[in-house]
Amino acid sequence: MVDKKTYENNRLCIEIQADDDAICLKWRGRSIDREPGKFIAPILLDSLREGGEGNKRVILDFRELDYMNSSTITPIVKILERAKRGTVPLMLVYDRSQKWQDLSFSALEIFSTEDHRVEIKGM
Amino acid sequence: MEGSMKLEIKPLWDEVERVREESASFLTSKGLEKDAVFSLSMVVGELVENSIKYGKQGDEKALVGISLDVSGGLVTVEVTNLVDDTAYAHLARLDRTIQWIRGFQDPFEAYVERMKEVARRQMEDKESGLGLVRIAYEGRAILDFFLDESEILNVSAVLNLE
Repeated sequence: MVDKKTYENNRLCIEIQADDDAICLKWRGRSIDREPGKFIAPILLDSLREGGEGNKRVILDFRELDYMNSSTITPIVKILERAKRGTVPLMLVYDRSQKWQDLSFSALEIFSTEDHRVEIKGM
Repeated sequence: MEGSMKLEIKPLWDEVERVREESASFLTSKGLEKDAVFSLSMVVGELVENSIKYGKQGDEKALVGISLDVSGGLVTVEVTNLVDDTAYAHLARLDRTIQWIRGFQDPFEAYVERMKEVARRQMEDKESGLGLVRIAYEGRAILDFFLDESEILNVSAVLNLE
């Protein structure tokens, strides 16, 4: 069974699809708020907690994100750091063919783990 | 193609996206390629966001000035805003950050260092501190600033298109 939830704030939409194996967060639109962490951080923290409780992989899919300001990067790197120190498998997916995504997200490879539990993947 | 664009906006957050979009249209009209347009409009957005965050507060008449100039293979973005006494801590931080970025041979290294630092902070900590270093890394732009005698802060980013 697939559970679906959609969160919207200003021009950003995060759609969460959860099944027995994974919790997938699809990011769409633009993240341009002054303090985007207020909206994003609780969603990320809940997903990481639910991933841990249900032994599910968390997938952050940014391929349909059109733009994000630098304040948006802050909650993302903080959740990656938590994931790196924890036990929940997490995969971040971005669109390598979009130069801005390649630059922004490939730099996050510093948070990937040697055992591939935390992965940053350009597709 | 060469040319310039100037805008003045009220220091309101909702204006940032409009300025970014107008900058993108202007740069596209000057024949810049899609990726350069995207990264330069990101530079504009980050600089305007900073000017609204750290410029003179509570005074909607204290306008933010934005200028873009395309000439001789260079694109220069300048953002100006009025500051008051409360901005000195920001100016000191701005100076330190620009000098710190210049200390790295490759701005990517500065970006990674800053991300590591941000990642260790509490989830509730709102400060990003990534805007300027993102301009240097993703925008491949050289940053500078000065404060004139009328308390107008001018922050510039210059990108060599070649």
